[in-house]
Amino acid sequence: MQLTDVRREYQTGDVPTVALAGVSLKVQRGEFVAIVGPSGSGKSTLMNLIGCLDRPSAGTVTISDKDISTLDDNELTALRSRAIGFVFQQFQLLPLTSAVENVAAPLLYQGIRPREAHKRAAAMLTRLGLGERLDFDRGRLSGGQQQRVAISRALVTNPDLVLADEPTGALDTSSGAAVMEVFKEMNAEGRTIVLITHDLEVAATAKRRVYIRDGLIERDEADAMVSTP
Amino acid sequence: MNLWLTFRLSLSRIAAAKVRSALTMLGVIIGVSAVVALTAVGQGAEQGIDSSLASLGANQIIVSATSPTGLDENDAAAIAEIEGVLKTSTEVRTQGTIAYGSESINASIIGVSPTYEDLGNPDVAIGSFLPTSPGLQNSRTIVISARGADRLEFTTASIGDEVRVNGLAFTVVGVLDDADGFGSGVNVYITQEAARSLFSKSPYLSVIRIQAESQEAVPPVEYRVESFLRFSKNVQDDDDATFSIFNQAALQDTIRTVTGTLGILITGIAGISLVVGGIGIMNIMLVSVRERTREIGVRRAIGARQSQILTQFLMEAVVLSTLGGLIGLTIGQLASYGFSILGGWEFFIDPTTVFLALGFSALVGIVFGVWPARTAAKLQPVDALRFE
Repeated sequence: MQLTDVRREYQTGDVPTVALAGVSLKVQRGEFVAIVGPSGSGKSTLMNLIGCLDRPSAGTVTISDKDISTLDDNELTALRSRAIGFVFQQFQLLPLTSAVENVAAPLLYQGIRPREAHKRAAAMLTRLGLGERLDFDRGRLSGGQQQRVAISRALVTNPDLVLADEPTGALDTSSGAAVMEVFKEMNAEGRTIVLITHDLEVAATAKRRVYIRDGLIERDEADAMVSTP
Repeated sequence: MNLWLTFRLSLSRIAAAKVRSALTMLGVIIGVSAVVALTAVGQGAEQGIDSSLASLGANQIIVSATSPTGLDENDAAAIAEIEGVLKTSTEVRTQGTIAYGSESINASIIGVSPTYEDLGNPDVAIGSFLPTSPGLQNSRTIVISARGADRLEFTTASIGDEVRVNGLAFTVVGVLDDADGFGSGVNVYITQEAARSLFSKSPYLSVIRIQAESQEAVPPVEYRVESFLRFSKNVQDDDDATFSIFNQAALQDTIRTVTGTLGILITGIAGISLVVGGIGIMNIMLVSVRERTREIGVRRAIGARQSQILTQFLMEAVVLSTLGGLIGLTIGQLASYGFSILGGWEFFIDPTTVFLALGFSALVGIVFGVWPARTAAKLQPVDALRFE
């Protein structure tokens, strides 16, 4: 995954806002990277670009050797579905849907048969210690449990890259620590993890930290591909 | 995400917001139930009129006198000889009072020729109709319609009893089931000879019933009868006519025209109410897309294609409208069952009605669901996720 001199601007009313002012970043397969920055630094925009949810205003984003600005909506969706798993700050479990149905949803969108999807979702939840709560909806799960459901949902498609936006932001310390343990294990299995956070303690778990401020990379502690504006 | 799962998801979504779903469906429910009930009333009424007409007997033409001297026995004899005429019967009518025990009522007294039973098809409930053998034509026998029997407080043992017709004793031989036709009057039947000897000495007739040889023969026979009567009565223009000719088929045509107009009216009401119902569904679906923007964003992020989001919202609109159609259909059928009891016609569930009601409500869901569903599908994932 590679970003080259990526800019992203938004038009809010008449005022153009620069979210990313030219970022270059390369993440290799198997890395565990934390993107660290205060709110408004452009780290969410960065995550949206890496996650194929958005396209850059200028520059190129290459995921699995594909330049995302050349892909149409369906191709981007297919890339997301196959290669990327998302974990959101507020868990974002689907409403009116049980834990196992949430985890099965990405598989169903891929066109996998319901029975098979259900089986794989249940297996993933069991691995993350939620085997007893497959049929619970989000109202009957604690924050930590909901986030584990969300992580299961991100992992169930067996993606190369897991993108997590403040995964511990809505959790208490111990649940947050448990969630970080899960990420470490995932990374140990060879999965690439990109974590976005403003919490330095959380960032310390990662093997590499990229500090971002005002739309620019400030510091890259692994010293790989430092950006220049 | 296959259609069955999408369908189940829509159902649980609708079930989760019952009040809102019910209010959304209300337009379709009212529209469909009103149309189903009105259609059933129309069909029931038509069926009732048809069976009343059918009880009059097939292939008949009825000539009624419009003045006391409008028709006479010579006319009847001549008409019986006209080509295409199978049978005729004649009636003289007068008003009188019928007394039985302490009860007394006003009635139309109808003196009928012996052939009346074949043409008029009286539906005898108890006893028999008037005697037909020539030797018994002067007997003082009487047949009373169901309504008359009811008002005179007959019992089953009243057959064979005497009633007084304008003070003269007649023996009751039969009670009819339902021969009064329209209106609320009471008909009683006596032989024409008895009527002539007692009330109506003149050779004039009130009604000549004609049965044509076949259905095809009805129009030519009607034409010949009318020509003959115009000639023999020397009718120059329609105002002079002393008779009117009534043809059952023509009446049926008129009724069909009326019910046809009613049908167009019902279709119009159906169309308007379904459009209104559809707009209600569209409105709620647009609100729903807005409320669920973040959910749409999450679904896009975890791999839902635009087409899958479109299908989900379209399915919801169609399930809403079809469910509304189903509820409306049920209410409409219950109402028509009620009407059928009140109106005394047969209740039946018309498969065409069921098919059209459900088909059109589904169509409403598709037509009015497309725009909200497209709005949902076109949301950019990043905008949808950022939406608060």
